[in-house]
Amino acid sequence: MIPVKAVLEADLAVVGGGIGGLMAAISAAEAGAEKVIVLEKAHVRRSGSGATGNDHFRCFLPEYHKTLDSILQQTLNSPIGMTRDPVILRQSLEKSFELVRMWEEWGINMRPTGKYEFMGHAFPGRLRPSLKYDGRNQKAVLMTQAKKRGVRIFNHHPALDLCVAEEDGARRVTGVLALDMSVPEPAFVLVRAKTVLLATGLTHRMYLTGPTPAYMFNTSHCPNCAGGQALAWRAGARLVNMEIPYVHAGPKYFARAGKATWIGVYRYPDGRPVGPFITRPDVVYGDITGDVWNSAFTDVLLDGSGPVYQDCSGASSEELAFMRGAMFSEGLSAMVHYMDEHELDPGKHAFEFMQYEPTFHGRGVEVKPDAETSVSGLFAAGDMVGNGGAGISPAAYLGWTGGEHAAKKAAVLSFTNIEDDPALKERMELFSSFLKREEGPDWKEANFALQQIMSDYAPAGPHRVRSATLLRAGMEYLEQLRAEAFSHLRAGCSHTLMRTGEVLDLLDCARAVLHAALAREESRAGHRRSDFRFTNPLLNSRQLNVWLEGGEVKTGFRDKWM
Amino acid sequence: MPPVIDREKCVGCGTCADICNSHIFLHEPDKDRVPRVRFPDECWHCDSCVLDCPAGAVRLRIPLPFMMLHVASESLRRQS
Repeated sequence: MIPVKAVLEADLAVVGGGIGGLMAAISAAEAGAEKVIVLEKAHVRRSGSGATGNDHFRCFLPEYHKTLDSILQQTLNSPIGMTRDPVILRQSLEKSFELVRMWEEWGINMRPTGKYEFMGHAFPGRLRPSLKYDGRNQKAVLMTQAKKRGVRIFNHHPALDLCVAEEDGARRVTGVLALDMSVPEPAFVLVRAKTVLLATGLTHRMYLTGPTPAYMFNTSHCPNCAGGQALAWRAGARLVNMEIPYVHAGPKYFARAGKATWIGVYRYPDGRPVGPFITRPDVVYGDITGDVWNSAFTDVLLDGSGPVYQDCSGASSEELAFMRGAMFSEGLSAMVHYMDEHELDPGKHAFEFMQYEPTFHGRGVEVKPDAETSVSGLFAAGDMVGNGGAGISPAAYLGWTGGEHAAKKAAVLSFTNIEDDPALKERMELFSSFLKREEGPDWKEANFALQQIMSDYAPAGPHRVRSATLLRAGMEYLEQLRAEAFSHLRAGCSHTLMRTGEVLDLLDCARAVLHAALAREESRAGHRRSDFRFTNPLLNSRQLNVWLEGGEVKTGFRDKWM
Repeated sequence: MPPVIDREKCVGCGTCADICNSHIFLHEPDKDRVPRVRFPDECWHCDSCVLDCPAGAVRLRIPLPFMMLHVASESLRRQS
């Protein structure tokens, strides 16, 4: 058996030290929680999708937007609004400027042009929802603020599972099983926790990587965020929107998020703009075509009219210099260095853009407005949340409010002894078995096998479809893979054991996706059912939950929380 | 592959190994002052190691399949 190195206690154990996780840790400490710990897979200074920066923070500034309703409705009516519960969006917008001021005070540059400026992701003539900022030091700043408040940070300690107790028919979180992977020889760390906040980021690596199928870490967002929603799933928490794929777009074949940082025009090879919104580069609005016509880059390849290029050549030298600076703010320095080394100049070269693979960005754990999940004491924030919106601003908000509420809850709870929990022991034995095996497939084989199954049997539309027969076949193949993985996977060190844990999580998330996709008997956004080709208007104001109960997968619709 | 460490410049502080988003380095100072890139395929090319190296000893070599497809922008104007 892998040894247990330590048993810790926490009023709040935060799983994942990204934007949402660090904000939760800071806010819980501010709200009076004495023992706050962060379990981080990598290192909080550079972990997650916001590792090296971001440049757009969705924010309501009364002086500029006048009424909250204006920006609220615009967001709800956009493609990213569909999956949200309006009540959470409203609350996050109400709080957003306070968070902006907080970040500014801590040393994150929220006014890179000298004033609060709203740019990008915008329709010409309409109010702009996104505050342009320079987030290149955001992780270091939040880490410093957390430490200042006595938060204990455990880098290289990914969470493998949660412990839950049943009380009067309700489930309550009691702890976390973590892996110490700071050295090649792995060890377990157990955390007795009064409350837990999950903030593991989006889920990547469930589908074959769009730009480079043989390189699964060439992804738009952090590829080490993989399957964290499964921690909540196994604890019995409800997931939401798992069946609606999110497909990002960006440069081909160098996968990176940040398409709104570019200020060019999307053009066909004959120079015509792809969208109707702008005809020359516009530093204030950007070209929102890539946001609203999500599949454009694929459509033009399949109908032969493409490719589509991002053309910044009409921009002035000042505008191009501004964009270059913004690329550093957004954390795209590796791409800038690549362009420099290859003498590529956005003023002279147009770059082909493409759609990447489906991810679970803003799909996953359902939270109530206080960020608590359907399991008592278990909170969630950030890109793994399925009904709160994805990206920096919702992560910061749900982290902040979740930390606050978790601290209040922890104040009236006592610790539970988790060491003898049979489910925990079983999980520890499973992980230990991977390490004991002399031979067997490694995590990467299982991950690729999963990607093949999901890409074939639960693909994203509009050009690929799902159907009851395909989804049921996918479920069958997934269970075959799961059985193989549990009985034969082998890991040689703490790093590969961590990856093995990710694959187990991905398998659980895939199960949730297949069941939810089967239950949504209509077509909506990227979820295209060949056996239900229409979008059912009766479901516009409904959300689809999927969850595990007594070992069985359950699904059900509920009304959106207005 | 992706991160390449200049052995001459590296001061052996292990920062790259500690902060890597993908945990791809192995630093065993007893065996070698310079961290080893142990899992190159798992690099996310986030640039953290390049940005945080105090000695400027790390660069990324972006794999060929990641090439950024491009054309001269004037070719778009010529055809319109």
